[in-house]
Amino acid sequence: MAELSRSNDPAGTLLLDVQNLRKSFGGVHALSGVSFSLVSGEVHALVGENGAGKSTLIKVLSGVHTYDSGSMMLDGSPFEPTDPHFAKAAGIQVVHQEFNLLNDLSVAENISIEAFPKTSFGLLDRAEMKRRARTALDAIGLNDVNVNAPVSTLGIAHRQLVEIARALQSDSRILILDEPTATLTERETSRLFEIVAGIKAKGVTVVFVSHHLDEVFAICDRVTVFRNGQTITTEIITETSADGVVRHMVGRALAETGSSRATKPDSGDIVLSVKALRTQKSPHPEGVSFDLRRGEILGIAGLVGSGRTEVLRALFGADPQIAEQITLSGKPLSIKEPCNAIAAGIGFVTEDRKDEGLILAMEIAANTSLVSLRDVSARGLLNFAREKLMATQFGAQLKLKYGKVTDPASSLSGGNQQKVVLAKWLAQAPTILLLDEPTRGVDVGAKAEIYAILKDLAEKGMSMIVVSSELPELITLADRMLVMCENRIQGELSPDQYNQETILKLAYGQDGNSKAAIS
Amino acid sequence: MSSTENLNEAPKQKALTLRAIVNSAGIGLALLVLILFFALTTEHFLSPNNITNILTQITINLILAVGMTFVILIGGIDLSVGSVMAFAAVIAGKAITLPGLGTAELVLLACLAGLLAGLVCGILNGVLSAYWSLPSFIITLGMLNIARGAALQVSGAQTIYSFPYAFEEFGSQLIYGVPVVFLMALLLVAIAWFVLNRTVFGRLIYGIGNNEEAVRLAGHPVFWYKVAAFTICGLTAGIAAIVYMARLSIASPIAGIGFELNAIAAVIIGGTSLAGGRGSVIGTLLGAFIIGVLANGLILIGLSDFMRQMITGLVIIIAVVLDHYRARLSAS
Repeated sequence: MAELSRSNDPAGTLLLDVQNLRKSFGGVHALSGVSFSLVSGEVHALVGENGAGKSTLIKVLSGVHTYDSGSMMLDGSPFEPTDPHFAKAAGIQVVHQEFNLLNDLSVAENISIEAFPKTSFGLLDRAEMKRRARTALDAIGLNDVNVNAPVSTLGIAHRQLVEIARALQSDSRILILDEPTATLTERETSRLFEIVAGIKAKGVTVVFVSHHLDEVFAICDRVTVFRNGQTITTEIITETSADGVVRHMVGRALAETGSSRATKPDSGDIVLSVKALRTQKSPHPEGVSFDLRRGEILGIAGLVGSGRTEVLRALFGADPQIAEQITLSGKPLSIKEPCNAIAAGIGFVTEDRKDEGLILAMEIAANTSLVSLRDVSARGLLNFAREKLMATQFGAQLKLKYGKVTDPASSLSGGNQQKVVLAKWLAQAPTILLLDEPTRGVDVGAKAEIYAILKDLAEKGMSMIVVSSELPELITLADRMLVMCENRIQGELSPDQYNQETILKLAYGQDGNSKAAIS
Repeated sequence: MSSTENLNEAPKQKALTLRAIVNSAGIGLALLVLILFFALTTEHFLSPNNITNILTQITINLILAVGMTFVILIGGIDLSVGSVMAFAAVIAGKAITLPGLGTAELVLLACLAGLLAGLVCGILNGVLSAYWSLPSFIITLGMLNIARGAALQVSGAQTIYSFPYAFEEFGSQLIYGVPVVFLMALLLVAIAWFVLNRTVFGRLIYGIGNNEEAVRLAGHPVFWYKVAAFTICGLTAGIAAIVYMARLSIASPIAGIGFELNAIAAVIIGGTSLAGGRGSVIGTLLGAFIIGVLANGLILIGLSDFMRQMITGLVIIIAVVLDHYRARLSAS
């Protein structure tokens, strides 16, 4: 990656000044005191865990959300964007993580989509549209892109760059790039960085949101760290290190919290052994390999998109996968479809309750028996009494709060819906349970109950693999933890090594030692 | 809140039936109002002859609509049933007019041939749309043309007639004024109701319509269930073909044009959601009755066939709008 020339004078003219910004959605404080500033012509990084408030801040800056309190000053005068047009008119452009391109239209049409040029008859002025697109693309050095080509014919990297060209065609003063490198290869990333350097040289201020600290250290002048909806600090890149930034992301106080869980002896038999499991997405031929012992809760930590969910889905046969070998209690196992996994005694509590876990409109009893319909039927005929009994029994075991088992699952609260999903798998008496974000959208009380249930099941010999974005959850549950980064297992931790700093360092692709990644 | 008290409640079968009744109540009420209206405004609507007439008229649509209910419940649609019916009729017609066989053999052969033709078309519809997850709208639109073309090709575009007398008689036989073919259709409704409400298969048909991914992740072979739904629909088209032949004593390659739309209309008026997962075959029965009663009654009060079409169209739209509000009501 090309080392870029940094502004020697970080204290240039103050462009944007945000003070003590607050924003709540219902009872959730998305931003609870955000302060940071932009100096014209700098590249400014925003870093922090998922849900730390970066995205909300971007939405406030670009006029998608209004803020509750605090102040924003743009060029010395108060700035209160009420809608995206307002923010754009003020020169703030955002390139979102998800592309906002119309794939079947041409590059030129996409670039002009916000304001098509018209002829004096009010018809579309194609010549002018193409001219503008050419200018916009040339401005960021994209001479090799044909303006007439449909966007669908371009690679991911070029689509990203077309979005940047679109954002920059009007007079923008602040360009916000939200995780622009998430889908790019290394070469494409360095191209992007060259373009960012060019933009910067033209005096545009760039806000760069990224999970990759090495990128932050490669191209940014300053970095602001977010944690729990607050800005913790802003530092000049040359005066800090990757270690220092991670420490700020975690917070000193939290870094001390270790595991309260007693270390389990590694005595259980290995029930599941996975060798070189690869998903379609994973570029690494070595895949992931790990063992799971009887009664063990194995946690998988990592950032969103690091391949955690994909490992579970692949293991369950929900997505196509290639594995060198999967053995269950010593016997080789081939998993092509979910039914193979289920037959082998594997259950899967999916991340998305509404779309994959429950049939919301159907009865609680019907949801509970969905995997084990054979147990509540004879020769294909349903035995409703037995099905009801099953739902009632598991309802009692999991302390499910419900009206009648014949009520639709949609009548339950989030936590109780999750218990129904659990009941569905427990009814099958699995030996291995895969759980993806087991307490997402579940209130604190129900969370504690679910933790107790899972620990109790592990006590009774069930093995589990838990994927979670909430580190405290993994620290509470896991007997052992794998940390994934970019479809690889970056490290394995035992409970005495659990602390948020170590985990986050691994999740951000560092090896846990103090090697700052300035490439 | 707790679960113990629930054990003493009425068994679930009753709860299900009750809900089905409540869901169908609106449609049933509408049907009753229609019948009352025509009974009061026309002289002959409730005459035994006219009732026999109505029952005969709705039979084929009801048979097609029963199969269509399965397909719509999984979130699909089958536009080909009218053409498949004609194709199956032509195949059965060819079989039944074979020389040198006794009546019983001929009738049996014709029934088997007709059912098989419908079955094969249904399997093709199912496999083609489920394997590539293509919209069944398009696949069955293709089948609509293929089956119609095949019917014309096989028959040389000629109507086939002169069937055994016993076969023709069966088509117009009455038991206490009720056509036997209508009783057959009712039997199909009963079987479909049982399959949908009492079997694992039916449970998963509803499940797939509601949340296909959840059913797949629960380890069930979604592909085969989808194929089965289309196969049932093709099979009912085959049954409809036999009934059609027995009633009209001909097998015409241009029979059944537009029948798919009437079948879909019966299912939708009956309260089954086009998005899948919600509805019942009892609703379909009532829906078929509403269409049949409207058609018959409106002619009796002297409206033209064109007006009848317009009013039937209006009823479909009203049914879907009402269903939209009912879905919102039950969601909240």
